[in-house]
Amino acid sequence: MKTVEVSGITKSFGDIHAVQDVSFEVSRGEIFGLLGPNGAGKTTTIRVMLNLFLPDRGTVSILDGPMTEAKKARIGYMPEERGLYQDVRLEDCLLYLASLKGVPEKEARARLGAYLERLDLAEHRRKKVKELSKGMQQKAQIINTILHQPELLIVDEPFTALDPVNVQLVMDLMRELREQGVTIIMSTHQMHLVEELCNRILLIDKGRDVLHGDLGGIQDSFSGNAVLVRLRGDCLPIPGVQQRIPQNHGWKLVLEPGTTPQDVFKALASGPAVIEKFEIAKPSLDEIFIRVVGGGEIQ
Amino acid sequence: MKPLWKVAAFEYRRNVFKKSFLFVILSVPCFIAFSIGMGFFIEKNRTDVRPVGIVDDCGVIRDAKLPPGMIADWAAGYAKPVEFILYATEQDARLAVESNRIQAYYLLPADYYTTRQVEQRYIQSPGENAEMQFFDFLQLHLAAPHSPQTAIRAAAGNSTIVRSLDGQRLIPAGGPTFSLLMPFFIVIAFFAMIMMGSGYMQSAVTDEKENRTMEILLTSISPFQLIGGKILGIVAISFTLLLTWTVIVLISIFIAAQVGVAWFNDLSMDWRTILASLVIAIPAYVLATALMIAIGSMIAAERESQPVGMVFVFLHLAPIFISWSFINHPHSTLAVILSLLPFTSMLAVGMRNIFTIVPAWQVLTSSFLQSICALAAIWLASRAFHHGMLRYGQRLNWRRVLAGKSGGLT
Repeated sequence: MKTVEVSGITKSFGDIHAVQDVSFEVSRGEIFGLLGPNGAGKTTTIRVMLNLFLPDRGTVSILDGPMTEAKKARIGYMPEERGLYQDVRLEDCLLYLASLKGVPEKEARARLGAYLERLDLAEHRRKKVKELSKGMQQKAQIINTILHQPELLIVDEPFTALDPVNVQLVMDLMRELREQGVTIIMSTHQMHLVEELCNRILLIDKGRDVLHGDLGGIQDSFSGNAVLVRLRGDCLPIPGVQQRIPQNHGWKLVLEPGTTPQDVFKALASGPAVIEKFEIAKPSLDEIFIRVVGGGEIQ
Repeated sequence: MKPLWKVAAFEYRRNVFKKSFLFVILSVPCFIAFSIGMGFFIEKNRTDVRPVGIVDDCGVIRDAKLPPGMIADWAAGYAKPVEFILYATEQDARLAVESNRIQAYYLLPADYYTTRQVEQRYIQSPGENAEMQFFDFLQLHLAAPHSPQTAIRAAAGNSTIVRSLDGQRLIPAGGPTFSLLMPFFIVIAFFAMIMMGSGYMQSAVTDEKENRTMEILLTSISPFQLIGGKILGIVAISFTLLLTWTVIVLISIFIAAQVGVAWFNDLSMDWRTILASLVIAIPAYVLATALMIAIGSMIAAERESQPVGMVFVFLHLAPIFISWSFINHPHSTLAVILSLLPFTSMLAVGMRNIFTIVPAWQVLTSSFLQSICALAAIWLASRAFHHGMLRYGQRLNWRRVLAGKSGGLT
């Protein structure tokens, strides 16, 4: 069941083509990564999805149909240009915004209390937003996005300003929401977090879809014929290995065409050195990002 | 509660329940209290009922043949009559002043009839009532050869009543009364509200941009609910100000009337003209509010709104610049046109109401036009808000606002 279906959307501002013919689908209970360099068109894509911008071409189906006023209460959105009322107490600010999403006050208070406890903000609930640190404000923003229990969550850079402990807290929260069936579209530049959380990704560059699909499949498609090994003992020349590159206290072995990782493993196992680590070399999402966006890998 | 009302309530609470609002709300009462205090102080200084001495070297007082009881009849015309004491020599009068038995003395020199000069001598300036009554007293004696009735009339002076040609307005001899000026005060209060409220109107939009809450709000409620709620909230803030000030002014008037300030003796209200002022002032206020929000949505920085704000102020104040026309010809074509046009009608009708009764058709037409414009301005504000909300640091032009597709940003 598709929660979001974006089909061929195009959006221009004068001579600037912000988004060109972008299509993707997001299933229920999926965490989908919407990636791209700054100015790639991610925010415009999200704003078109939410009907804040009308597309020049293309269609968007969100929660089984076009975006409507009634559906706003079923969506949680944390925008790039985020903020809360700085001169208002945290609790009042979040309760007000929840009330606009149609959450009854009593219910909102109960949920808010639980989230504030969980994200370690309970003791700051009566402080004005401007008195909170950036990290605290970020967590408050996350609470605001999920307080009304949305079915679809669209979060732009949810981990900004968070320390590693809080990153883990938010990641756990997102995994939990996914388990509950919430669909999450996440835009971030922190690729290692995308690798940990997302099932599928869409990489946009200059408004165009440049990479799209299952994360594992994409990494496979970018992996060359190479293995990563760490040995206790000397790494003697191995037949079928074209190049040996020192890497992370081990070696990256680039294989000749026709040589398989199994051939290399057998050769290493029969040698004098003890194999401490052996894995197929897959590029990180960071590397793929740089190669695609910076290196012109895919046009 | 619908989102519109939630936004209104939030906007109201956010602005009203803070210290700076308390300052705003107390500023006018403090000013009024200060003015009244000054008035009492001045009034008190003006009124000194201690006797006044006269040294009559020319005999105008001494030799006048006034019928018995005439001075008492004349003095009865004053609320606080002053007693006049004749002194044979200036030395006696001086001693009386120095011993505080009289507040001052007047010296009528021997050549008074030819020079008209009177000398006033005092240690501390006498009250204005004493000065005024002395000259009336002098006139009474100058007119002594005439009949007592003529003499008293000459001493008391004349009283002029101004009546409009159509006979619908009457300004008593003491000048316009409070009740006559009441409708004008109402429109001035609304004008003050527009001026004071412009800050709230501006910040209603720019705050959302500065706090970066715009997208969160617009993915929760519609632009119309957001902008409508904000307008309602600001109107409620303004009416809180107006109501508070009105209560304080009424209490002040009551106190002033009790104390005996003459201007507040006639507190009767002409409800018809008050109603006429209100039915124009309320939509005028909504119109100005919505337009200020529209402008706030379109501009990139708050300073850009100042020239436009000046134009609004000028349009509202235009009738005051030609107030002479309303005084001389309250039913002239210019007066009628200004009474019908949005922006100018509020003060135009308010000023005309002092001198005449503005015909009902003009009031209703003006109110209708203002209401239509106010609705259009709300629509425009909603549209400008919708189109300009995500343009951080960018300006939006009217053409784009009017040409944009509905249902989302273009």
